Amino acid sequence: MVGRTRSKNETPDAVLRALADPHRRQILRLVQHGELPAGQIAASFTLTQQAVSQHIGVLKSAGLLTERRDGTRRLYSLRQEPLESVRGLLAELWPEALSRLKRAVEEAHPRDSGRDA
Amino acid sequence: MSAEVHDGIVIATEHIQAAPEVVFRYFTDPALLTTWIGDLAELDPLPGGRFDLVMGDVRCRGTYLVVEPPHRVTFSWGIDGNRALPPGASTVEVVLTPDGDDTMVVLTHRGLPENRIEQHRAGWEHQLARLCRT
Repeated sequence: MVGRTRSKNETPDAVLRALADPHRRQILRLVQHGELPAGQIAASFTLTQQAVSQHIGVLKSAGLLTERRDGTRRLYSLRQEPLESVRGLLAELWPEALSRLKRAVEEAHPRDSGRDA
Repeated sequence: MSAEVHDGIVIATEHIQAAPEVVFRYFTDPALLTTWIGDLAELDPLPGGRFDLVMGDVRCRGTYLVVEPPHRVTFSWGIDGNRALPPGASTVEVVLTPDGDDTMVVLTHRGLPENRIEQHRAGWEHQLARLCRT
């Protein structure tokens, strides 16, 4: 678990997308205090097992679930780290956005050259 | 460029070599707004008018609250489907102050839910509970 590299899907956007679905939030709520086998997660839903598997896949690729194999069972637990990237999302969003705003405005409205800055 | 997060508030500043009148339109004209944030915008820059922005797969929805060209614009802000930050949950204030021929932009985003979480890492469980509340 330690040393796992941050996948490219583990961006704040991907995490927000993963969290945007009520079924996926329900899955995270189920596993937030300890790991659960896939079957037990699926049993909590009226969805098909396949649909639940797809939700688990989205959560896994967003880095929100850790998967562990125990014999033939797959056990899932919550991984908190990506949630911290959401926390930082807006802190990063605005400075980066304003930096792009500066570039956009100054490129569209160049000042005469030779002018004192 | 700088940013601070404190008490649920993000403050970002930028110095731009253009007059406030020029910069202001980048917060009210969809074609200009999307040159620096988002992919698609639907804006009605009047108090009570919509401020909708698509950023990738994330949809932000808001409402203009104050529109005072060329110095001040505020709008509410939130993300569709995000329970920690639902549409209308927080507000963004943009103040454009002349600095010679240039503009100092101060953007203040208030009412962010991440506030308490920053101080107590254990607060993430609470945060998750909020995200998961259905």
